[in-house]
Amino acid sequence: MDGVRAQQSLGNRAGFSIEGPLARCMGNWVAANLHDVEKQLSHEHWPTDRLELNLSRISALDTAGAWLIHRTLHTLDASGLQVSVTGADEKTRQLLDLVKARSESTKEPPRPYLPGFLESAGRKTASQFSQVFEFLVFTGNLAFVSMHALLRPWRIRWPLVIKELQNAGVNALPIVGLLAFLIGIVIAYQGGVVLRDYGANIYIADIVGLSMVRELAPLITAIIVAGRTGSAYTAQIGTMMVTEEVDALRSIGIAPLEMLVLPKMIALLIALPLLTVFADVMGLFGGMIMSSAMLDLNSVTFISRLTEALSLDSYLSGIGKAPVFAGIIAAVGCYQGFRVYGSAESVGRQTTVSVVQSIFLVIIVDALFSIAFSKMGI
Amino acid sequence: MLNESGSIARHSQHQTGECILQARDLVMEFGPKRVLDSITMQLNRGEILAVVGGSGSGKSTLMRQLALLQKPTSGTILLFGKDVTNWGEFRTLPLRRRMGVMFQHGALFGDLTVLENVSLPLREHTGLSLETIEQIAMLKIALAGLESEAAALYPSQLSGGMRKRAAVARGIALDPEILFLDEPSSGLDPISADAMDELVLHLKTTLGLTILLVTHDMDSLWRIADRILLLADARIAAEGSIHDLVASGNHHAQQFFHGPRGRAAGASHDQ
Repeated sequence: MDGVRAQQSLGNRAGFSIEGPLARCMGNWVAANLHDVEKQLSHEHWPTDRLELNLSRISALDTAGAWLIHRTLHTLDASGLQVSVTGADEKTRQLLDLVKARSESTKEPPRPYLPGFLESAGRKTASQFSQVFEFLVFTGNLAFVSMHALLRPWRIRWPLVIKELQNAGVNALPIVGLLAFLIGIVIAYQGGVVLRDYGANIYIADIVGLSMVRELAPLITAIIVAGRTGSAYTAQIGTMMVTEEVDALRSIGIAPLEMLVLPKMIALLIALPLLTVFADVMGLFGGMIMSSAMLDLNSVTFISRLTEALSLDSYLSGIGKAPVFAGIIAAVGCYQGFRVYGSAESVGRQTTVSVVQSIFLVIIVDALFSIAFSKMGI
Repeated sequence: MLNESGSIARHSQHQTGECILQARDLVMEFGPKRVLDSITMQLNRGEILAVVGGSGSGKSTLMRQLALLQKPTSGTILLFGKDVTNWGEFRTLPLRRRMGVMFQHGALFGDLTVLENVSLPLREHTGLSLETIEQIAMLKIALAGLESEAAALYPSQLSGGMRKRAAVARGIALDPEILFLDEPSSGLDPISADAMDELVLHLKTTLGLTILLVTHDMDSLWRIADRILLLADARIAAEGSIHDLVASGNHHAQQFFHGPRGRAAGASHDQ
């Protein structure tokens, strides 16, 4: 009687009851309903000698339910209990047989091999070294292809170069201009606060001019381009690697370096210095606006001071860094693209690596430039 | 919600032959191109229905719509007796547990192992312990014909045939009532393709699944399809058992089943 009442209140859920030697499964024993029954089964007080498991009140059963029943039977059996199953209809028996036949597979699900700390540290180190080596090989190949192209400039794919110039150069003008302008404003403000106290307002042109033209404009431009264009290079070449387009190029006798890398390299070598000049202008303009607003320094005074403060050396030392940065960004971006292997997931990973590495290298090289310039007294 | 998920492999009121999925006047347009044109069809419980047709005949689109992955331009879809055509994403969620889909290239999640891929639906929709979930997932992996060792592998480490099997295992993780298979044997070597047919038949008998498959494998049609829907020029050109279609005078059926491949498959089956 108890069982019947229990079943009526069950609704769609799965139920299990045990009275003396008689246990009953009731209701819908399907995956979505089994969590309570699973807990109940693991904490149940089983009789000690024999048990009858009645399945006649099960209204729906799936493999998950059948597995739970099978597993319970199996553990009880192993503990020495005499278990008999009653009331199972044809389909229930079929499902129980189905899971029983494959129960072997559920023992110890295999896990992917996870290397220990020492092993992963070792592998990481080795892969870093081999990456440096591979990058050197890549730059070597690139240099070879570039020399080849310089000797036969008509073989260079100029339409591709122009397309890349449009993407990497012209389309980057708004963002580079805006950021350089804002940085000019910020520097003028920060410098202006101090200079005003000393009444040295006029020197704001020196501060904005030197910091912008020598350091910030080339650096900011390179960082924006690394994030914007370097990542696009990696993603484009990486996607082509995944879809075997790079291999297709090779198979029809076109060197991927010549078709995919060289135009990008040439375009960026042209675009980045030009963008840097643009950033110089916008940064100085921002500084000038801020100076006249905050320090009452009119633009004529600002510009005339600027011509005294900024030597040609300073200007060229800023612009001169840009082609080096361009080379780094294009080489790293393309190299990481060729490292894409296997799935689309790898494209995302290598793109991240590409941006991080090129920004890292740009800043390191910038520091090296500073040291070199100070030794040379520029 | 419980009501809709609570009636899987066995239920007293379920009987083979009842119509569980129906499409009426289904139309699908991509821009000016009409991919499906007034398709009316039904899927009966317990059968294997094969949708066939040349490339671009809209068979995959039809499957995507029936699996509620894409909305038709017009027409109605009745799933388990309910008009689900305009149901939103959330409203269809309980229904999705009653359907499994094997995508053509597996669509396994690349950063999860096979075991984790198969466990995912169980983790999402049941409150079972992780141990039980993994045991059930291993059962399904075995049922799909994969070795236990394959469970620890990532999709990128699997061969094409194994990937399809793993995708089937994920499709049947929750014991669905309907299983959609998109080209289960395409891209497989003949032996693996035969084994895949075997698996489909096996799943039908052991789990009582209703299966809708999209294929153009002639051998599969002969071996496993109870009923065939032949699509041509965005319409249903012919419908019936393989013997009906081979015998029919329909122009498209003639072309499809009496080409060299069709005849070879038929001949080898007759032997």
